[in-house]
Amino acid sequence: MRKILLIIKREYLTRVRTKGFIIGTIIVPLIGLGSVLLIVFLVGHTATQSLRIVIVDNSGQLAPAIVHGLDGKLADGQPQFTVEQIVSRPASLDDLQQDLRTRINGEKLDAYLLIPPDLDQPFELHMRNPDNFGLVGPLSGAVDQAVISSRLDRRGVHFNDIQTVLKSAELKLLKVSEAGESVEKGQGIAVAIALVVLLYTALLMYGIITMRSVIEEKTTRTMEVLISSVRPFELLAGKILGVAAVAFTQFAIWMTSTALLFSFGVLASLGMTRNSPLAGVHVPISLVLYACVFFVGGYFMYASMFAAIGSACSNEQDAQQLQWLAMAPLVFCMIIYGVILNDPTSRTAVILSEIPFFAPVLMSLRISLQTPPAWQIALSLTLLVLTTVAVMYASAKIYRVGVLMYGKRPSLVELVRWLRYT
Amino acid sequence: MDAIVLENVTKSYDAVTAVNAVSLKVRSGAVLGLLGPNGAGKTTTIRMIMNILVPDSGSIRVLGEVVTDTTRDKIGYLPEERGLYPRMKVLEIIVFLAALHGLTQAEARRRAKAWLDRLGLSEWSDKKLIDLSKGMQQKVQFITSVIHRPPVVILDEPFSGLDPVNAATIQEIMLEMRSQGSTIVLSTHRMEQVERLCDAICLIDKGRNVLDGELRAIKQSYGKNTLHIEFTGGDGFLNHPGIGQITRLISGVEAKLKPGTESQEILKAAVLSDAHITRFELLEPSLSEIFIDRTTRA
Repeated sequence: MRKILLIIKREYLTRVRTKGFIIGTIIVPLIGLGSVLLIVFLVGHTATQSLRIVIVDNSGQLAPAIVHGLDGKLADGQPQFTVEQIVSRPASLDDLQQDLRTRINGEKLDAYLLIPPDLDQPFELHMRNPDNFGLVGPLSGAVDQAVISSRLDRRGVHFNDIQTVLKSAELKLLKVSEAGESVEKGQGIAVAIALVVLLYTALLMYGIITMRSVIEEKTTRTMEVLISSVRPFELLAGKILGVAAVAFTQFAIWMTSTALLFSFGVLASLGMTRNSPLAGVHVPISLVLYACVFFVGGYFMYASMFAAIGSACSNEQDAQQLQWLAMAPLVFCMIIYGVILNDPTSRTAVILSEIPFFAPVLMSLRISLQTPPAWQIALSLTLLVLTTVAVMYASAKIYRVGVLMYGKRPSLVELVRWLRYT
Repeated sequence: MDAIVLENVTKSYDAVTAVNAVSLKVRSGAVLGLLGPNGAGKTTTIRMIMNILVPDSGSIRVLGEVVTDTTRDKIGYLPEERGLYPRMKVLEIIVFLAALHGLTQAEARRRAKAWLDRLGLSEWSDKKLIDLSKGMQQKVQFITSVIHRPPVVILDEPFSGLDPVNAATIQEIMLEMRSQGSTIVLSTHRMEQVERLCDAICLIDKGRNVLDGELRAIKQSYGKNTLHIEFTGGDGFLNHPGIGQITRLISGVEAKLKPGTESQEILKAAVLSDAHITRFELLEPSLSEIFIDRTTRA
C-alpha cells in the first residue's frame, strides 16, 4: 500500500508539473473564455452610434408608421435609429437621390429608405453595406409591420386586434418522473448530450494518458527498475489512481473557476441571465451522482485496458494500432447514442445500456433522459463492477508479461496467450 | 551460509528454454561472476532471482527465504537495460526509488546527497536526467541500486559505457561493499574484471550451468597446461608432437600442451634445438580460455 501511494504521488506530481498540464488546464480554457468575451465585446460594440437614415416617402402616408416601428434602443439608452429627415413625395426624385448618395458616400448618412407610391411595389433601402444586419433587420421589421398595418386599416381592422388574435398558444412541457413533475424547457436534451460528450471525452482522454505513461516507462527502460521493487499490479494500480487524481484536479480547477466566474458576474454579463436558455438548465444531483459512479467504474475498466495495451507495445506507433481495441466501444457509444436519445425505453436502449462496455456512457444518458427502473440501473452497475474487476485482473496479467517484452507488437492471439502465463 | 541458492531452476518462453535446470550457490560475502555468451540466459536467471519472472520449476532462495516483496528490498539491482524517468530531476528520482525500497524521505535525501557527492554529481542533482551524459546517468542508476545498503547486490554489466576513471570508482565501491560483508553477483563479458574482482564464477551457456565454483579451484582443476615461451632463433622445436594450439605473441608464443605431455619434454627439445630460450613458464589457463573452451564445446 505504501508503495502504491509512492507511485500515485510520483505519477501525480510529475504530471501536474508539466507544461502540458498547465496549458491544458488553465491556458486553453482561458483562451476559450477570452475568445467568447472578445466575440461578445465585438458584437455588443459594433453599433455604438445611432444609425442616421432618411425616409423618402412616395406614398405620402407610410413614413410615420415606419418611424414608430423603429423604436429600438442601444446599450447606452440612445435610440438605434435617428430619422434625420422625411421627404414626402419629392418634386425631383433623381436630384434628391443624387444628393442622398453623396451624403452616404461622405459618411454623413447611413442609409435612406425609398417607399414606393404603391405599397405592393418593392421598397428600396440604399446603404454602403447591405450586409449590415443591425441596420437591415430592424428596418425590414418596421417596414413589414407598417405595410401590414396599413393594409389592415384599409379593411377596417386594427393592427393591435390582429396581433392579439394571432398570438401563439403556449404549450408547457412537463416531465413526469418518480420524483414528481417538473417543467421541461428542452434543456434536458442539452444536458444529456453534454453528459455523453463529457463522459466519452474524459474516458478516452485519461485512458490514453494512462497508456502513454506505461509506454514511456517501457521505452525509457525505467520499467525494469520499477518492477524489481514493486509488483506489476501495484504499479498498474498506482498509475491508474495517479492519473485519476490528475483528472480530479483538472475537473476541480475547471469547476471552481466556473463557479468563481459566475459569482463575479462575468458570465452574467455575457447574457447568461435569467432569460437565457442556459439559466433554466437544471441538473439533478441524483444524475450527477449516478454519472460519477458510472464514470469511476468505466474509468477503471478503460484505463486498465489502455494500460494493458501500452504494456504490450514497445512504442507509440504500435500502440496506435492496438488502442482501437479499447477505443471501439467508446466510439460505438458516440455513434449509437442518438437512437437512445429518441427512445430511451426501447429494447435496444435497454440492452445496450446493460452491456458493461457501453454502460458508463449509455446508462448515464438514459438516467438523464428518463430514469430507468431501479433494477436496470442496479443490474447495469453490477455487471459493470464485475466486468471492471475481470478486465483489471486480465490487464494486470497482460501488463505483467508485457512490461518486459520488447520488439515486435504482439498479435491478439499472443495477448490471449499471455493471460495464461503464471 | 549461502546468500543465494538456486535449485533446478527452469524457465521457458513458448518453445525456447531460456534457463534449463540451473543449480547454483552464492556464498555469503563473496563476489560471484556470472558469465556466459549473449543469450545464454543470464538476464533471465537474474530476473528470476529478483522475482520479476517466476521460474516454471525449481526453487530460489535469497538470504534463506523465498523472495517476496520484503526480501526484494534487501537486494540491490542494476539491470542491464538501463534507464530512468528522463524528465525527473536526479535527486528526486534517487529519493523516489530509495523510498520504494523502504527508506524515509529524509534518510533517502541525506544518503542521495552523500552518494552524488562521492560520485562527483552533486552539482547535477537538480538537473533532469535527460540533461546528463550516458556515463553520468549510469552512475545515477548505480546509486539507486545500492542506496538502501542491500546485503545482496546484483549488477548486470555495471561497467559498460563507463570510462576507465569511473569504472575504477565503481570497482572500488564494489570491493568496499564486499569488505562490509555484501554478497555481489556481477554479470559481465569482461574476463579481466572477473579475474580481478570475483571470488567465484558461474558460467552459463545455452541455459545450462556448465561450470561453477571458486575461481581459484576452477583454474587449478584446469591444471597448468599452457607454456609461455620467449626465445630467439629458430622455432623448429614448436613442431613437437606434444604441442597443441599455438598463439604467437610479440615477445614469444603461448603453446597448449596436449594431454599427457610433460612440459619437461618440450623444454628438452627446445634446449637441443637452435633456439635461445630467454623465458620458459608453465601457466594456468586464463579465464578467457576457459570461457571459450567451455562455450565452444559441442
